[in-house]
Amino acid sequence: METIAIPAINLAPIMPEIILSCIAMLLLLVNVFVPSESKGYLGVLSLVGLVATAASVVSGWGQPVAAFGGAVQLDNFAVFFKLIFICSAALAILISDKYVVREEINHGELYPLILFATVGMMLMACGMDLMVIFLGLEVLSISLYVLAGFNRGSLKSNEAGLKYFLLGAFSTGFLLYGMALTYGATGSTKIGNIAGFVATNPQVATNSLFVVGMLLIAVGFSFKTAAAPFHMWTPDVYEGAPTPITAFMSAGPKAAAFAAFIRVMIVAFPTLKHDWTDLLWILAVLTMTVGNIIALSQDNIKRMLAYSSIAHAGYALVGFTACNPEGVAGILFYMLSYTFMNIGAFAVIVLIGKKGEANGNVQDFAGLGQKRPLLAAILCVFLFSLAGIPPTAGFVGKFYLFSAAIKSGYIWLAIIGVLNSAASVYYYLRVMVYMYFKPSEEDFDWVGMTPAIAVCLLLCVATTLVLGVVPGTVLELAQKAVQF
Amino acid sequence: MESIFFLIVAAVAVLSSILVVTCKNPINSALSLVMTFFCLATLYVTLDAPFMAVTQVMVYAGAIMVLIVFVIMLLNIRVEAVKRGSHAVFAGGAIGLFLLFQTVWFLGRGTLSGATGTMDRAQVVKVGHIELIGKALFTDFLLPFEITSILLLAAIVGAVILAKRKI
Amino acid sequence: MLEYVWLIPLFPLIGVLINGLFGKKIKNEAVIGGIATLAVVGSFVVACGILFQLISMPGEERHFEKTIFTWIQSGTFKADIGFLVDPLSAVMLMVVTGVGSLIHLYSIGYMHGEEGFYRYFTYLNLFTFSMLLLVSGNNLLLMFVGWEGVGLCSYLLIGYYFHKKSAGDAGKKAFVMNRVGDFGFLLGLFTMWWFLGHNYNVWTINFRELASHADLIPAGGVATAIGLFFFLGATGKSAQIPLYTWLPDAMEGPTPVSALIHAATMVTAGVYMIGRMNFVYIKSPTALLVVACVGGATALFAATIGTAQNDIKRVLAYSTVSQLGYMFLAMGVGAFTAGIFHLMTHAFFKACLFLGSGSVIHAMHHALHHVHSDADPQDMRNMGGLRKKMPITFLTFLIATIAIAGIPGFAGFFSKDEILWQAFSNPLHGEVNIVLWAFGAVAALLTAFYMFRLVFMTFFGETKLSEKAYHHLHESPAVITIPLICLAILSVLGGYIGMPKLLGEVLGGMPNYFEHWLEPVFAYSNNYMAHSLPGAHGEHSPALEWGLMGVSVLIACCGIAFAYALYIVSPTIPEKFTSAFPALHRAVYKKWYVDEIYDFCFVNPCKALGGFLWKGFDVVVVDGIVNGVAGIVKGFSGILRYSQTGYVHNYAYGMVLGTVVIVAVYVFR
Repeated sequence: METIAIPAINLAPIMPEIILSCIAMLLLLVNVFVPSESKGYLGVLSLVGLVATAASVVSGWGQPVAAFGGAVQLDNFAVFFKLIFICSAALAILISDKYVVREEINHGELYPLILFATVGMMLMACGMDLMVIFLGLEVLSISLYVLAGFNRGSLKSNEAGLKYFLLGAFSTGFLLYGMALTYGATGSTKIGNIAGFVATNPQVATNSLFVVGMLLIAVGFSFKTAAAPFHMWTPDVYEGAPTPITAFMSAGPKAAAFAAFIRVMIVAFPTLKHDWTDLLWILAVLTMTVGNIIALSQDNIKRMLAYSSIAHAGYALVGFTACNPEGVAGILFYMLSYTFMNIGAFAVIVLIGKKGEANGNVQDFAGLGQKRPLLAAILCVFLFSLAGIPPTAGFVGKFYLFSAAIKSGYIWLAIIGVLNSAASVYYYLRVMVYMYFKPSEEDFDWVGMTPAIAVCLLLCVATTLVLGVVPGTVLELAQKAVQF
Repeated sequence: MESIFFLIVAAVAVLSSILVVTCKNPINSALSLVMTFFCLATLYVTLDAPFMAVTQVMVYAGAIMVLIVFVIMLLNIRVEAVKRGSHAVFAGGAIGLFLLFQTVWFLGRGTLSGATGTMDRAQVVKVGHIELIGKALFTDFLLPFEITSILLLAAIVGAVILAKRKI
Repeated sequence: MLEYVWLIPLFPLIGVLINGLFGKKIKNEAVIGGIATLAVVGSFVVACGILFQLISMPGEERHFEKTIFTWIQSGTFKADIGFLVDPLSAVMLMVVTGVGSLIHLYSIGYMHGEEGFYRYFTYLNLFTFSMLLLVSGNNLLLMFVGWEGVGLCSYLLIGYYFHKKSAGDAGKKAFVMNRVGDFGFLLGLFTMWWFLGHNYNVWTINFRELASHADLIPAGGVATAIGLFFFLGATGKSAQIPLYTWLPDAMEGPTPVSALIHAATMVTAGVYMIGRMNFVYIKSPTALLVVACVGGATALFAATIGTAQNDIKRVLAYSTVSQLGYMFLAMGVGAFTAGIFHLMTHAFFKACLFLGSGSVIHAMHHALHHVHSDADPQDMRNMGGLRKKMPITFLTFLIATIAIAGIPGFAGFFSKDEILWQAFSNPLHGEVNIVLWAFGAVAALLTAFYMFRLVFMTFFGETKLSEKAYHHLHESPAVITIPLICLAILSVLGGYIGMPKLLGEVLGGMPNYFEHWLEPVFAYSNNYMAHSLPGAHGEHSPALEWGLMGVSVLIACCGIAFAYALYIVSPTIPEKFTSAFPALHRAVYKKWYVDEIYDFCFVNPCKALGGFLWKGFDVVVVDGIVNGVAGIVKGFSGILRYSQTGYVHNYAYGMVLGTVVIVAVYVFR
């Protein structure tokens, strides 16, 4: 019998994933022994784990390190995105504690599931093999399907979970089929090898198997980033899922999908660049427009933010279409700032909401400006940032994305982007109008601040404003991260 | 000879998969799906992947479909009445046909031009399919293999959370 | 200490944040005022430290730049947040923080009991912050930030009593006129940047870098344009013809505001700016001529108006405009040092005058209030004989008035005389020099006249108040009189550091410290004048200088004597004069109808145009388009939302449709 030559195993590049998985498993064990009133401690433990993971991630900055025969590569790009995921998970956990107690879904399994989802996201960011990316996507998706349906007593939550699952599985089919076709055309699933094969055999670039494989992979990722016309699951799922999970979903997984999308497209299909940038152009325009236009007539604030997240994915796609280093760095910066501003907005929504997801309409914000001015001001910061008004991070991000597009020659795309941005101001400012200019008899006395949410709000506001005023350092980091 | 065999098996597979979506009785749908899986297993055998064929039958037809049939029976799903010629069916059918046309078109134009690896028919026969898969699984694809364990754990936790009566 | 130059603007900024955010909750006036005053005092202490450190450095090395961070970097345009410490900015810093501290202290007493006490101090600190940015910024853009900031604070503080319509109007007037000037400043900034960058690839707006490349600026042409653009900004900020009419109206604000902003600091920003950009102005004799002529004309013009005003603060306001004219006259004939010197001495005695008038108004208000009289406490015709009741105020006021009149021994004499001498002798503008000197001399005569008229009407003679009201007059508290005393002392002693060489030789070889101090800043210009301009700095005889000095003293004494004659000896002469020439008197009293002319030429047409554009264009066309577009988009939204049916199979169908279309497009290409 032949002996298997066991390859040298370098665990360092995936140490963050290992740490986080171990913490998640530890949480599962600890969960058994923690009484149901103290499930909050699991949240604290998960935050500690996230901090440890972040430390491990940051140590990977600098030289790219590959492992497992090129299946994963920890480079600056991966480090940046992993930090985004960790931030989104941490912020979501911070705002979940009040919500789960209120809705009586205080099960300890929430935290391990969020951590598993984060592991999946991190794998998607550093994966250099289509298999690894796919598996990361699946880990993420399975965890998210469950998290979306976490509130078993709520009909909407069940609907959200089921719809997400059905449509997610459907799109996974497209993704996998595309990967299979690409494998068939090039003989390898490692994205570096795919590009190498095409470089040495140029006729493969016109092989329809290869092209269709690329298109289907793009379709699969477009589902995850909620690009139109693959966006239809987003409003229902975001509306039905528990609010902290919606916050998480809108930030981390979207960024993860972009990370994988960017890496696969740029590394594996550089020869087809012209094709997929055309495709992205159309996707970007459709996504932005559909997201913004339908958001205009939404009353439920979670649904409105769902459509807004579709629109924001559209703006990020503009940067992707530009496909120059500034554009991709802009996407990185945008995802970071989007995480903070969006989760911050959701934090305020968690505070305002009542049991049973009542009080979720824009009209329910009336009078907040007079009764709780600080909270209203914080929400205003996030709304301004989402609308792209200086001096917030949202403005800087949009500026860089659109200027990257113009640099690549996509003038019309930038114009459409700016017009969409202008239209979006309406539905963001509508909330502000309700907060400040409509009277209300509500006293908002049920709105109680917990230390966790206070920390989350503080972090989000600080980041949004700091990134808006002095974006230089983070932008430089993003630009350094794009050299892969 | 081989192509005739392929055509027959493929036709049965396509037919049974159409039956899956059109049968009114859910048990019939499930059984048609089992049929489809058997056909797929057969196709695997023709592609010199005996292990895949056996695994397909064992896992899909054996475990998954049994589970699905159990659930159908437990839930006592009634026969559903499908409206004749509803818009959805019509539109879906149209798209499906177009998709078929597209698939035939591009498949006809495409070539499997990938690099051929070390696994050709002679090797599979000589070494054994299982051993080759095992080797690949623990050398080239070690990481994906380990990640699936996390995936399964997450799925189990999720299933418990969603389905257990009292948690 | 030089490293900590950034503390200077930081302290007032902290004061703004504390008083602005929490002032409403801190009800204690002493705390609010104390925080604000301490902030400025802190800046003063740091400024002193910097001054001493600069003094200890050798002459050529007296400059220090501290860059905090790069604010904007867009292509070739780069602007830092950085501070420049050199002799000129050190002088300005000392003046702003020193006089500022005294005025903050004074305000605690003056604004006692006012509603919005914290608001006043917040704005005052904000103003100090902006002014400090203006004088210590190391590049044109940062200076512009400070420039705009002081304009904003001027608006806020003039309109401090916002319940009065006249105050609000005055604030708006100040702001709008400042804006017109700021437009000029920006044009100058960009012309300067573009010219050097486009022609010589030197893309900078940093002062030291610009100065080091001064040789690249050719004489005439561009230099004239840049100089005139910047000067337009200066006319707005420093209240010269044609943009001066806001300053008298700005007296609606509280008196300490008038002292700080409209006498000592903000209005001097234009003079400072010309001093900073001296290397540009020196290349353009035309621009300098314009500056000098406008300065001289303003000096004379404003002085004439001041003779007929009855409101004590109006007189001082016109006096300020007139003295600013002197400063620009000095800058315009190339005597930059003299201009800055007069800026400094003027800050001392004008602040003292304004604060003194504030003390008077305060006492008058108190007394009139006590007898329930409606008379205007600021009208000099209601005053008289105050010197017996308010001795400290009287004494300090008198000292400052003597200083402004230009009597030897007091600060104003040295600076004003230097300006008149330079105007006469500097050959930069040829024959026009004499005319400029004449303007300055007549204005000096009028200055002495109307200032002493003010003193005589207010402090001497029979009081016009009722017995009871007069009885209730009393001296102001210490927190008001101490700054007065400090400023009066400075009005006397402040001039000695700038003693002209001639006098200095007489008094035992005392050099002109001030000129020596500012030499490195204006070295380039002085060299240029000496070498490049025809007939530059020829020999001038000391006899001529002594003669002119004597003439100035004589003029001052004449003015004082004239005022004495008219207001002490025979107080009925003024009335006879005004009834003999009613039209002339009315014209002068009405400020030569300049405001009315501006209203007719600019304000009313603007209002008409605005009205038309509003009703005719904005409401109909623009609103129509905007609302129409919004309506259409909303309509689309209403339609599109139905695509979201809620059925999973519809969603899946959409996805498949999308995929099919995408693949089809590519495959069938």
